[in-house]
Amino acid sequence: MDFEIYQLIVPLIGLVFIMNMLRRFALSRAGWQETLLGFGFWLGVILVAIFPDTISNLIARIFGIKSNINAIIFFCLGLIFFIQYKLFFMIKEQQSALTRLTRKLALEENAKEENQ
Amino acid sequence: MPAIIKPEDIWVIIPAFNEGPVIRGVVAHIRQCGYPNILVVDDGSTDDTAAQAELGGAMVISHLVNRGAGAVAQTGLYYARKKGIRFVAQMDADGQHHPEDLARMMTRMAKGDCDIAIGSRFVEKKGDVPWIRVLYNQISNVFTNWFCRRWYSDTQSGFRLLNRHAIERLELHIDGFGYCSEMIIQAEMLNLKVAEIPISVSYTDYSMSKGQNLHTGVITAINLIWKLVFTPKN
Repeated sequence: MDFEIYQLIVPLIGLVFIMNMLRRFALSRAGWQETLLGFGFWLGVILVAIFPDTISNLIARIFGIKSNINAIIFFCLGLIFFIQYKLFFMIKEQQSALTRLTRKLALEENAKEENQ
Repeated sequence: MPAIIKPEDIWVIIPAFNEGPVIRGVVAHIRQCGYPNILVVDDGSTDDTAAQAELGGAMVISHLVNRGAGAVAQTGLYYARKKGIRFVAQMDADGQHHPEDLARMMTRMAKGDCDIAIGSRFVEKKGDVPWIRVLYNQISNVFTNWFCRRWYSDTQSGFRLLNRHAIERLELHIDGFGYCSEMIIQAEMLNLKVAEIPISVSYTDYSMSKGQNLHTGVITAINLIWKLVFTPKN
């Protein structure tokens, strides 16, 4: 197996992120769900970088896709759509919270003015 | 249900965002028509909307940041609930609605056969609505009525009269213009009775520059689908 330079750089970057995530978990700045998700993601990135052909061929075989390159593209597109959905949902939640806060402040301010 | 609804029983609630040039005149006209209780909910305007509304004789509640017409409408309903207000009339701030039409809506509501009276621009064809607004409204009607049991001729009308029953039950979640559709769909789900009353409108260059356009219409549709399909619990 030929060893390329990215197969060293990407795992190192992944390790840095994993260490940072564990540090945040230890300092109670991140929950266990976030830490587990991040750990899984970066572990996946490291494994794909070290064993690109083995993993892409495995994905292609599992999903019945002919080429391993196509499998990677489909997999990444699916991942991007999923992340996009999660982000959109989170933004909607934040907007809803902002509206409730704005309304509460407006009504409290009005009540204060009426009491004066 | 009272046999007669008096103008002082009603609070006219006006959502306003950057309506400084016209809001004072709109409020003053409503007062001249005999409705003393007017609440302007200023939706984080960057101009002097709040000050102008107060000069016109309205009470003002201000959102610190702009949250949209639906958010403002729900703030008005919360205020009405808190104060025990029996009737709320919602009107647009750009002066397109005629407060004179409110009397007809009150008469209908006094009969006791409706909880929400929607002022409809299309139930009687008067030809005073620009074609582009007719087009947007017809598209919105098809879209909204798809989720409803019966057909409504003006689902996007901002001129509505609500009784206490409706004020207490409605819980609007859409912050933007989609609240007009959401209110109708929710009213059906809550078994509130909805009636459509013919109204007339006056469009000016100013009012045409406000309200919905194709861009906001698309955003409204996406928000409505999102709320109805992906978060049905709301």
